[in-house]
Amino acid sequence: MSRGRLAIVVVAVVVALVLWRVLAPGTANTVVVYVSHDQVFSEPILKDFERDVGIRVKAVYDTEETKSAGVMNRLIAEKANPQADVYWANEPIRAEVLRQQGVSAPYRSPSAEGIAEQFRNPEGYWTGFSARARMLIVDRGLKDKPVSIQAYTDSRFNGKTVIANPLFGTTTAHVAALFTLWGDYRTKAFLDAMRKNGVHISSSNGESADQVATGSFQFALVDSDDVHNREKQGQAVEGVYPDQEEGGLGCFIVPNAVVLIKGGPHTEAGKKLIDYLLSRETEKKLAYSDAAQIPLHPGVEPPSGVRRLETLKVMKVDYAVVAAKMESIQPLLRDWVGH
Amino acid sequence: MERRLTLLLVVFALVIVGLLPLAAMLGKSIFVDGRLTLAVYERLFANPGQYWTPIGHSLTLATFTAGCATLLGVPLGLLLGKTDLPFRRALAVLLSIPLLLPPYMLAVCWFNLLASNGVLARVIPARALELLSGWLFDLPGCLWVLVSAFMPVVMILTLVYLHAVNPRLEEAGRLITGWPAILHHVTLPMILPGILFGGILVFLLALGEVGVPMFLRYPVFPVETLTQFSAFYDFGAAAAAATPLLAVTLLVLTLERLYLREKTYRLRPTTPGRRMLLVPLGRWRASALLAVGLLAAAIVVLPLLALIVSSLSPFAYPQAWSKAADSLGRSLVFATAGATLLTVFGFFCGYLIHHRALRLWRAVDTLTLLMFTLPGTVIGVGLIALWNRPGTGFLYASAAMVILAYLAQYTALTSRITLATLANVPQSLEEAAQMTGAPWLARMGHVVVPAALPGVMAAWLIGFIFCLRDLGASMLVYPAGQDTLPVRIYTLMANGAPSLISALCVILVAVTLISLAILSSLFRAMGSHR
Repeated sequence: MSRGRLAIVVVAVVVALVLWRVLAPGTANTVVVYVSHDQVFSEPILKDFERDVGIRVKAVYDTEETKSAGVMNRLIAEKANPQADVYWANEPIRAEVLRQQGVSAPYRSPSAEGIAEQFRNPEGYWTGFSARARMLIVDRGLKDKPVSIQAYTDSRFNGKTVIANPLFGTTTAHVAALFTLWGDYRTKAFLDAMRKNGVHISSSNGESADQVATGSFQFALVDSDDVHNREKQGQAVEGVYPDQEEGGLGCFIVPNAVVLIKGGPHTEAGKKLIDYLLSRETEKKLAYSDAAQIPLHPGVEPPSGVRRLETLKVMKVDYAVVAAKMESIQPLLRDWVGH
Repeated sequence: MERRLTLLLVVFALVIVGLLPLAAMLGKSIFVDGRLTLAVYERLFANPGQYWTPIGHSLTLATFTAGCATLLGVPLGLLLGKTDLPFRRALAVLLSIPLLLPPYMLAVCWFNLLASNGVLARVIPARALELLSGWLFDLPGCLWVLVSAFMPVVMILTLVYLHAVNPRLEEAGRLITGWPAILHHVTLPMILPGILFGGILVFLLALGEVGVPMFLRYPVFPVETLTQFSAFYDFGAAAAAATPLLAVTLLVLTLERLYLREKTYRLRPTTPGRRMLLVPLGRWRASALLAVGLLAAAIVVLPLLALIVSSLSPFAYPQAWSKAADSLGRSLVFATAGATLLTVFGFFCGYLIHHRALRLWRAVDTLTLLMFTLPGTVIGVGLIALWNRPGTGFLYASAAMVILAYLAQYTALTSRITLATLANVPQSLEEAAQMTGAPWLARMGHVVVPAALPGVMAAWLIGFIFCLRDLGASMLVYPAGQDTLPVRIYTLMANGAPSLISALCVILVAVTLISLAILSSLFRAMGSHR
């Protein structure tokens, strides 16, 4: 073999070894977690877990572009040969869908002690923690501010309101929750009235919040982290927890939910991660982070800008019923959006 | 025998990489609970009337995008590749920058630019800004963003095909007439296959685009597939929802094959040593430079400026580096591996199609193009369905899946570039080597590849760019903890600081340009040493 060819073979072997090192999966003392919660908020928590517990975390995060469908589709597609140990969902509906699809396994974490039953699957298929609230983000200059989601049908706000596309994300869950509480007839009438009152439809909650912040619209129904984020950026907006009056509907609460994946490759490490995520310390960190999430453990003191759960009038819903309702209302919502 | 065996192996690999994932996806739409049924289609298309508006929007957007991109891309390609326009190389690079970013990101740039607190708010009146903002969130906005994103495809193809024009034909024309007539009667007809192919590619890319129309609130049909994925997690229905666009894609590719393919072979080989003839612009030089400069400012500099301005915060770049340096490293490794395999794969596919070396050459061409135009999520789920099995788990859980996704999606690019290049390599060279008794692989290695080296290098660079910016399929198959830079940017977009996101986008563009500059110099040096 000539020197040139020998050099090529040596370079090829070195490149192959480097590539193998970079590409090959590691397995020891590792937990694989799929995350739908925003990476900017979830990644620091997972780094803390690595440091505190000594287990390496390999994460797959979701993206806005696919409307957070990437991770869910992966989990369902991987059902026969699971690659993940834990799923950190940004709302319980996805966790409920995984339970229905047979992707998740029950696990009752000792850290879940104290979290209200409403925010937990009774058999332990998912457990809620650190919640967002569905809030109205309102133009700070507005004199008579809306206090209920029914303001969407108020003629004072004709053509001046915006809502995220209800085919995706937390808006779908919120509308489905209304269907479970009000019934089909009343909710359809409410949606029709919204349309007649000239509501605009945006592609996401973040976009709705931006459009209120830039003065294009007077208010929008978004998640509490969207409000907190714009307030922190110094935008001229403020948040209103809707329907807090006596006898009112209450505010729709969207907790994170953590799920153990059935047959995952590192189940024990997965349980440790679940225990860590459901701990009071994690809830406190998420409350003090820019996510500004509401702790579900009683007694965890949030920062001044975040309301305690006990001080809120919460919408009483069964998330499993909401998940089931979401599927049946999709054709109606598609018509409503105009697709 | 050696040739046939090698090409059959390539076809076999293409079937595994491209056809089987697609079949796995479509299979889910017709096999429900182990039974063959069309129930998914019946349910989905029970009321076809509801789809006319979004289908109409999709076709309108795709047609106008392809038309505008062609009307802009061809004159630009001619000006930058065929004339003595000053700074033409720098302008070609500048105008290609939108191709380095996923289109959705460009839409975000334009939104930041036209928002009431955006960069333009400081310089143009509020009424005008409101009007522009209104246009942005409708068909004109979608069109503007997609044309700026895809126009470089037509421009680059025009540039590539111009190199395949035999200068002797133009020289002959110059004996009897001036350049305008030569361009009209000689040059343009010869590069017409490239132009039409560029237009078709843009049409198909715009037809399958979801991110931009959704962000700019223009309802299009591919949203239906996304809805099935994200609202119902129903892979069968998602595949079924993709079939109308799949049918349009196949129809367009069939038309292309019927009316265009034969013309590709009318390209005559360039005489070795002859350089492309340049059209002197004379007194039009300054005006042409101004026009190209203004266009570059409107579609590239403005959004890029918005990105850079928004990234100018004291901590944005250090934070971006600390959050994404590892992803950037992986992106470069994956893109290098992907581009290398794409070049090899594309070369053999291009050779097969050019020489019609196997009976199924048409099927190979159609399949690669079809995979190029399919939404990345469809390919991603298909790859998962195919590879996530206990026997192949070692492969599935590794970054090899990302490379497979690149191969599935982008082989059409390198294959078509090879095709255009091989049209320029005299068949007699390979035949002469064959006469000396050289086996086929040796003929490829010592004769055909060196003769086609500029095209092979161009294929590698184009493959590298597309792998580096890929998001759709790699997002679904990247192994846990091993994301790429575009995936990292997208996952940080949700509630990430705007300055951080902008800084990451600037880093992506800068790294791509620097890599391309280094590699182009390297390739040029290699070329000059031949």
